[in-house]
Amino acid sequence: MMPADDQSTPGAADDPARTAPGSRTHARAADQARARRLLLWYPRCWRSRYGDEFAELLIDERAELGPSWRRTVNIAATGLRARLAAAGLAGHSVDPESAARAGLASMAICAAAAILTGAVMWSQLAIGLQWSVPADSRITQAIDLMSAAMLALAAAALLAGVPAAWAAATAAWRGQGRELIRPAIMFAGGALVMVVGGRHFASAWPGTGGHLLVHQSLIPGKIAAFGWAATMWITSYWAHPSALAAFPAPELAWMALSPAATGCLLTGVAQMLRRVQMSPRMFRYEMCVGHLALAGLAAFLSGALCWLSLSGGETGPLFLAGTIDRAGLAVLAVSVVAGAAAVRMASAAAPCRPTVRDG
Amino acid sequence: MTRAGDSSADRPARSRRATADQGAALETLGRSSGPASLILSSLADGAKHGYALTKDIEAFAGVRLAPGTLYEALSRLEAHGMIEAVESHDRRRPYRLTATGAAALSTYLEAQRNVAEVGLRRLAGSWAQT
Repeated sequence: MMPADDQSTPGAADDPARTAPGSRTHARAADQARARRLLLWYPRCWRSRYGDEFAELLIDERAELGPSWRRTVNIAATGLRARLAAAGLAGHSVDPESAARAGLASMAICAAAAILTGAVMWSQLAIGLQWSVPADSRITQAIDLMSAAMLALAAAALLAGVPAAWAAATAAWRGQGRELIRPAIMFAGGALVMVVGGRHFASAWPGTGGHLLVHQSLIPGKIAAFGWAATMWITSYWAHPSALAAFPAPELAWMALSPAATGCLLTGVAQMLRRVQMSPRMFRYEMCVGHLALAGLAAFLSGALCWLSLSGGETGPLFLAGTIDRAGLAVLAVSVVAGAAAVRMASAAAPCRPTVRDG
Repeated sequence: MTRAGDSSADRPARSRRATADQGAALETLGRSSGPASLILSSLADGAKHGYALTKDIEAFAGVRLAPGTLYEALSRLEAHGMIEAVESHDRRRPYRLTATGAAALSTYLEAQRNVAEVGLRRLAGSWAQT
């Protein structure tokens, strides 16, 4: 809900109650509380630098001009821009060094969001390929492009993750990694739940036939099934509660648990990237991997766009695009654009930083 | 004492280039460049805190900067070294102009004056009769 410069009272100068000595302190406290609420639009780093003086300005402004929704909208807009800047996604940040690290973390989150939504499409298509061939060969080519992009994204995740994990482990070995404990636990817990649960529900589903390398496609059936199980909660069934109620209870529990586990995993990754010590060289390396991931995302987006544009009545039921796929494509496109902005901002901030370290 | 290569002939050119670079910095503040020029103009006669800046700008320019806009521009100006915070025991922290900010403001205002002079001269020539 929007923290509001509320309309309950006129300006202090016009309010007789405020001129009474006993109520002046109370009015001052109320003004400060109101200003503090408005400050919540801004990120923590901005508040710690400008919070006190900005609150004083808001109190003075309100005392002179009274409440104003225009002022609230202005604060909300500039506060959100400051938040985008602090996340390394746009504009100017109060702390460029931490914004560079935040940009890296934002890129990771964007890539993860794109991979998640991409996996929903890709896994159903890969499973479909176990059983039939699309009527239009261009759909097969689009799926091949999406599979190659998924492989590139997996490689990028590995290339980015191993050095970051090594840096975190080194910091922990030297006793400097206390702030990394919580993200590490979140990451490990989320990953454990996803791997165990994903494998269980992938094995329980008979659709893939369990072939390692089947005749229709180079995509191992078990990997496709794992992708399907891990993203089972991203479904249009949520809009059809009666159909959803027919699902077995364990599957429903998994659909409720897996998004929480995915959120834990991604939060852990983002916090780790923001806190782990990185040399400028390592930071530039991570940026290079970020560019590789962006190229992979763009390739996947192209393949998905091609599939959705060709999907129709004659493509076969296993390759028919649904509403969830169209929504996924929109999320994918937004993620690619936001990821590109994050990489651009982080790259711009990175070269002049002597060190990129914990914050 | 004159260093090698520091002739009087190339000194003005270098000085112009330096001020042009600093002037460009004010333009690169993006959406904040308009408010930034007002803030720098206000600070040109001494340090002021946020509310005093708002009132002064309203008095000389007829523009009331909203609080968010004011601080967005202040943080950018501070990051570019054009203004600096003054130590204060009060929660209202004053800001003052730096040499970089003064040079940037001077270049910006010179350019604005040139535009104004040309515009007024052409108006006087072409539209004086109407």
